[in-house]
Formats: sequence, structure tokens, C-alpha cells
Amino acid sequence: MALNQNPYMPEMATVTRIIEETPNIKSFQVVFNDKEKMKAFKFQPGQVGQLSVFGVGESTFVINTPPTRMEYLQFSVMKAGEVTSALHNLYEGDQIGVRAPLGNYFPFDRMKGKNILFVGGGIGMAPLRTLILYMLDNREDYKDITIIYGARTPPDLCYKEDIKEWESRKDVNLILTVDAQFPGWEKRVGFVPTVLKEVAPKPDNTVAITCGPPIMIKFVLEGLAELKFPDDQIVTTLEKRMKCGIGLCGRCNIGHKYVCKDGPVFTLRELKELPDEA
Amino acid sequence: MSTEKLKEIILKVLPDVDTVIGWQEGFDKIHITPFFMKSPEDAEKAVWNSLCVQNLAAYLPSLKKKTAVIVKGCDSRTIVQYMQEGLIDRSNVVIIGIPCTGVVSVKKVLKAVDYQPIEDVKFSDEKIIIKTSKGEKTLAIADVCPDKCKTCQYPTPIVYDHLAGDPIESTKPAESVYEDIKEFEKKSLEERRDYFKNEFDKCIRCYACRNACPMCVCQDSCIAETRDPHWITQKLSSEEKMMFHMIHAVHLAGRCVECGECERVCPMDIPVAKLKKKINSEMKELFDYVPGVNPEDKPPMYTFNVEEAKIKEHKL
Amino acid sequence: MADTGFLPKEKLKDFLEALSKDAVVYAPALEGDIVLFKEYSQGKDLYLDRPANLGPKSIIYPQCETLLSFDFKKNDPEDPKKVDIELKTESNFANTVVFGCRPCDAKGLVIYDKVFIDTDTADPYYKERRDKTTIISFACEAPFAGCFCTAVGGGPADTTGSDVLMTDVGDGFFFEALTEKGKAVLKSVPMQDGASYKEKAQKIKSEAEKKIRNPFPKDATEKLSQKLFDSDEFWEKVVSKCISCGACTYLCPTCYCFNITDEKTKDKGERIRTWDACMFNHFTLETSGHNPRPSKLKRFRNRVGHKFLYYPEKYNGVIACCGCGRCIRYCPASVDISEIVGYLKDPKQK
Repeated sequence: MALNQNPYMPEMATVTRIIEETPNIKSFQVVFNDKEKMKAFKFQPGQVGQLSVFGVGESTFVINTPPTRMEYLQFSVMKAGEVTSALHNLYEGDQIGVRAPLGNYFPFDRMKGKNILFVGGGIGMAPLRTLILYMLDNREDYKDITIIYGARTPPDLCYKEDIKEWESRKDVNLILTVDAQFPGWEKRVGFVPTVLKEVAPKPDNTVAITCGPPIMIKFVLEGLAELKFPDDQIVTTLEKRMKCGIGLCGRCNIGHKYVCKDGPVFTLRELKELPDEA
Repeated sequence: MSTEKLKEIILKVLPDVDTVIGWQEGFDKIHITPFFMKSPEDAEKAVWNSLCVQNLAAYLPSLKKKTAVIVKGCDSRTIVQYMQEGLIDRSNVVIIGIPCTGVVSVKKVLKAVDYQPIEDVKFSDEKIIIKTSKGEKTLAIADVCPDKCKTCQYPTPIVYDHLAGDPIESTKPAESVYEDIKEFEKKSLEERRDYFKNEFDKCIRCYACRNACPMCVCQDSCIAETRDPHWITQKLSSEEKMMFHMIHAVHLAGRCVECGECERVCPMDIPVAKLKKKINSEMKELFDYVPGVNPEDKPPMYTFNVEEAKIKEHKL
Repeated sequence: MADTGFLPKEKLKDFLEALSKDAVVYAPALEGDIVLFKEYSQGKDLYLDRPANLGPKSIIYPQCETLLSFDFKKNDPEDPKKVDIELKTESNFANTVVFGCRPCDAKGLVIYDKVFIDTDTADPYYKERRDKTTIISFACEAPFAGCFCTAVGGGPADTTGSDVLMTDVGDGFFFEALTEKGKAVLKSVPMQDGASYKEKAQKIKSEAEKKIRNPFPKDATEKLSQKLFDSDEFWEKVVSKCISCGACTYLCPTCYCFNITDEKTKDKGERIRTWDACMFNHFTLETSGHNPRPSKLKRFRNRVGHKFLYYPEKYNGVIACCGCGRCIRYCPASVDISEIVGYLKDPKQK
């Protein structure tokens, strides 16, 4: 373990900034109280952490800042259950626990020299953000970067500051969409899988990385198959109910793979070899 | 009542239903197991004897397709209670009733033969003959029956579409039903507290009692596991366990049909039915109500009237 | 002192009393009509006639344990809203001897070891207890209802996971030390030389082995049929009767799935780890309402898969089932996992 001999022991950390991304998503910027540990902390894009609100519980979130930007670790949290609600009730300066990094990461080395297609929906943009920022920080290693990002309504789009920057860059092709017409929205309207088919990116020398709600992923995968993307060029990151985060407690398995330890990042080819329990 | 007669009925109803739930031989000669029959070949394997202990009616609310179920008199009270509470669509259920003179408690039989693996089981008028590697042992069924059979008031199912055998009248006095509870209550409060504390200490929270209970309708949203509300923790103290069992019992006030499944399935042999029986005895006393007997009844706790028709609270 | 020894039956309690001088000793005892492992104290009755309803797993892997505790402290009088959190872990597990478990129970611990210890994120709580515990297993002379240890690579006198194996040789018990820990405990009481009983014990053990049933059909293959395993129809047929309770998993010596929950009062709390069961709906239920294993068929399939496919896939072919038969014996609906695996090993008989 990177942090401690006891893998259940969280590192105490302070919430330094809270950003209201959407009406039900907040991002938390977090630094370890132990400055040495913060300095020594290493992780790879796509790895996750368990955030503790003591007395309430732990929940898993991807570290959505890249390892190239280490002033703080950022986690985005959609308010849904007990722990996420408790996180939403926090103030800047509050103490939380962090167990990180956990799990595997995006095969960013194998993506070098390739075109990259990101397809994200809603809070599913969080893991993609890590990799996008990482790639932008190493821009020369990658060819064309296309981002298709959709949400229910314009206020539901996360990372509005990033979006502004990506829109202004010439080396990023950003396509935003929302599910239905919305006052003042002049960009695309339509579900992410539909927009994917309209944009019709070419599969040649291209890796597609997708994350979003299960139903979106399902249709995006179908769309990518129609566009002739091969299974090993499609990467997704899964979410599961997790407790231990270290491959012991037994609930996040799909067949013999544990999403918390062997995942959360899988290629479509890997997923197809496992039982249909995603 | 012969298994042959039962098979005839099963074959007759099979074409009209998706499944007939009955029993078949289990992993050894003393264990009978529930059997979801789909075909005439399945029906050939059906059995009926005093080892058919499970209350098969409990599967009904989870099944969507039309189902036939084989019930003993005690099990039929489950169906009556389901009808009262609207938990099944009666037109979607075919009831095959079996008049029953009493089943066998497998736990009691195993104890009687020192838990030796059982090689063979035979029946001969009201007796069960058990063969183990140590020899044969003959036990009177009356000596190894579950407690519920000793005071059975409903040997013939209360509701049925087909009856596999001739109706039987109960020979047990109605006053006998709650005698064990009255006896237990003679103990001092401290003795009773210690008794339950000791018993519930053994609980491993496997929830076999809850999941086997036909009237435990919350199932996957049970208070034992929810965090909202967060009334019970996952800790193992006897207080936490007692809290779960008390809630289980209180939830069944005026609903427990006394099938005894909770107690039969407990791998730790905890007499979990006792609390429920006590509450039922109160319901009988207060409201003159017996659960699962008349489909037209409403469980007393389902209604509130300023003047409850049968309430006797002033006599308490 | 050799690695073997013999004690007449009446001396057994002396042995336990000697052991309990240096360690907490757990031994099977009757509780009403069931058998449980209880802390041994002087003069207490032992019960060795049949395996415990719940094996010794809860001693080394307790059903509920505190992973860490926390105090909420208001250290700053200037800022009453500021709460500091202090985390603590505690370990106070004493040296322990488990006496009289069965070889299948001990084998179960080896299944746990691979998960909890042989990993880069070893579980320090489990490891400490495992390291500090000595296992004295009692060889079975004959099978009990539901037993099938030999079919899953074990046996009534299997030594895997035990430090000492004890065999009833009629007038007394024959002891064999299998590890250094085992040798140490045999020294705690003067024993007679065991050499002359070795042959007799061996005979009893091999006789016992012949008596264990093999539930798998004659034409059973090593591998399970993936096609049948993937078939919903098959699972519907074999597990419709399952009532989705946790009896099988909680009594199982190889099941280890757990939950972690937080509990708190006003100014303190703890994070506890408790057994959980893959047979419960809530086990994989996600906050969104999505459940990757939404039916008992999928959950049961995962349980069988975990034991007979996924665990072997991860750990070099080792099956995560010790054949103790408890899940069969105590199942409310008498679901028989050995029968199910038998079908998967020879689909044509289904």
C-alpha cells in the first residue's frame, strides 16, 4: 500500500474547496493533512479513492485531477445515497478520510500516437476528465482529441470551466449535447449515442473511452460497434457497489475480476469474456 | 392419502399452470426438498409423506405466472392470510390441499438417532423407522413432531381447489394452542429475559427465519439492513439481535399464521416462534382474532375503528 | 518429544487445561442441541461427537470486528464548528488454540489465507489472528449428512491448514504435529509415545476416506460446463426453492464476503466489518437502484461460480469449497450444492 500498512486506514485530509458543478453534483478538492504524504502521493489517471465521512461511511470516487496537477486531489460526487449526501453537507475546511489510490488505470501509454475519442454522459465525465487533462498536459503524445459530452440539460453539464477552455483550444474537438431543447441552448440536442452516430468518428488508429450511466454505455458500445471500432480499442470504466476497495469483500466482482482492484478500467474485449453482470 | 392420488391431481392441473410446487426426495432420506414441477416426468418424482415439512405457500407472492401449490392444513392458513392482505391473486393460484395428521421434525429425529447419517427411512402406521449405521430405530411420529402439530386445529386445508384425500377433523382441544406460552409465562421476568438473551446470543443474523417467513413482506427492504431508517446496527450484541427479532415479531402481530417455518429453518436452533406465538395469543385474547382462518377477515392491525367490534381491552 | 503422541481419553482434559495456561482455548461444546466453539475453561464438557454447527471461522474471522474507531474532537475554542477527527486501531488478540475442529474447517482457513494474506493488500486483522492461532483438528471416522470433502480435494483426515491432527484410536487419541506451532503445543503436556498407534490411526483414516460419498457422477469432468453455467433455465430449475437467506454462507468455512459500516454516537464512532452474504439482494444493490445480480438465480450462480470457477481461476485451480456439507445440512430448503456442481460437471444427466 502506498499510504499505510493497514489498507483499511484512511489518510486524514481537508476539503479545501467545494465547487457546485450542477444542481446535484459537487466537486471536492482535497489535500492530505500530512504534507509529506501529499508530496509523495503517486497515482495514475483512472484510479479511484474511497472517501470517508466518519460515522456515515465510505464511498468510491475517481480522482478526477490528473497526476500532472498535484496541488490537490479532486473528486466529483453526485448526491444519491447516505455517504454522498453526507459529503454534500460538508463545508470547506472539514475533515474527511481518503484511501487512495485504488484499482487500475487507463492504459494511456498504449494510447500514445493515437486519435482519442471520449464519449461521456453526466457524472461519467469525471474519470474522462482525469485522462483528458493528463493528455492535454502531454499533448504532443496524442493525435486528434475528440470529446463528445452530454447531459440531461445545460445546467447538468459538469466542469464548466474546463469546457470553456476546451472550446477555446484548437487542438480539441469538443461536441456538447443535451437531451432536449433548452432555453438559450444553441448547440446540439440529442442523446449521446445518437450524437456519436451523427459525428461518426473513424475507427482508424483511434481509441474510444466512454463512461456514463449504464444505459448510455450500452448504446454507446452498440454505436461504436456500428462504427467498426474493434473491442480492444474501446475502453470503459465501471462503477459497482464497493466496500473494501482492495478485492476482498466480494461484492464488486464480475466473474473472477474485482472491479475495485482489477478494474475499474476494462476494455470491451475484457468485459465480453466475463459474465453479463455489469 | 397416497402419493399416487396426489400425482393424479398434479397431472390434472399441470396443463393449466406454469409450475406445480410440491416436494421431492432431498439429499438424504430424511430431507425432503421443495420441488418446482413443470412436466409430467417431474410429477412422477413428487412425494408426500410426514417429512414434507416446508410451507410451500410461502413462494407464491414472488411468482408471477399461474402456479399450483400443494399445502397441508397449516400451510393453507398462509394462503388465507395472503388473500386477506391482497398479497396473491387467488385466480392465479391453484391450491392442492392435503389432509395431514402431522409431520416430523427433522431436528428431533436427528437428535433421537444421535445425529448419525441416515441410510433409510420407512413409515408404518404413525411411526417412522430410521436406519443408520448403528441399526434401526422406530419412533412414534407423535413423539418427534413439531410442536405445532401437537395442537393442530386445521388438519384439513381451509382453502383448496383439489383435496388429495378425505377431510380430517381436529382432535386437539382449541385451548391447547397457547398452553406452552402460558406455561412459559409462569417463569419470572428475569428468567424469561435470561432465556431469550441466551437464545438470541446464538443468532448469526443469517435471516433464514425472516426469509422463510411467509408473512415477512418487507424482505429486501428489511429494517435489519437498512441505513435509512437506521434502527439496527450490524453489530453482534444480543441487544441488536433481540431488536431484530422483536421487530420481526411485532410486524407479525395478528398476521403470523404459526407455520413454524422461522423456527424450523434456524440453523442455531433458536425458538424464534415463541415471541410470535405470544403476540398471537394476545391478539386472540384482545380481538378474538386468529390469523389465516377466514379469507373475509381483516387483520386487526390493518384497521382502526373507534369502537373495535371485538376488542376486549377493558378486561385487561 | 517426537512429532507424535498418545493420550488416553481421560487425560484429554489435562491437555486442554495445560493449553489454556498459555492461550485462550476454544473447543466444541453443546449449547442446547447444537454444537458451538466455546472458550474452554476448567472442568467444562467437550463435545466431539459431530462437527460444530458453526465452525471455528468466527474465532479467526469474527462475524463483527472494529476496523477503526474515531473520536470527534472540538479542539479549537475560537471555532466551535471545527471538528478534528482522531483515528485509532486496536489489536489485543491473545494467543489462541482451536481444539477439535474438523479437517474441513482447517482447510477453509487456507482458502481464507490466500485472499486475506497472500495479497499486496493483506488484511492485518485477519493475519494477526491467524498467526496467533494454533489449530488442532480432529479426524473424522465417518461422514455426516451432506459431507463430500474427498470430492473437493480434502478428506476426513486431511492435514491442510491444521497444526496438529488428532485421531480417535479407541482407547485414546493419537496426535500428529504438522507444523512447528503444532510441535510446540504437543509439548505442553506429557504424552505417551505415539509411534505404536501410528499404524492404527492410519488404518482408521483410510477406512474413513472410503466412507465419504462422491456426489459427482461417474462421467464428471474436472471442468464445469460453461454453457450450463450460463443458462438461466438451469439455475431456475435448481435454485427456485432457495429462499435467499444467508445460512449457507454464514456457516460456510470458505465464505468470507463482508460488509463495512460506520456507527457513531455524539462524539465517537467506529467502522465495523461484519460478515455479509452474496445471497442477499442488498449485497450488490447500488444507490441508483441498479443491481448487477438482481435475482436469486444470478446470486446463487455467483456463489457457485465464486467457489468452483472464479476462485480457482485466481488461485491456481484451488476450489473454494471444503465439502463440509453445512450449506446442505442446514439449508431451509435443502438445496444441495454438490448436486448442482455434479450437473455442471456432467450436463448430460440434467
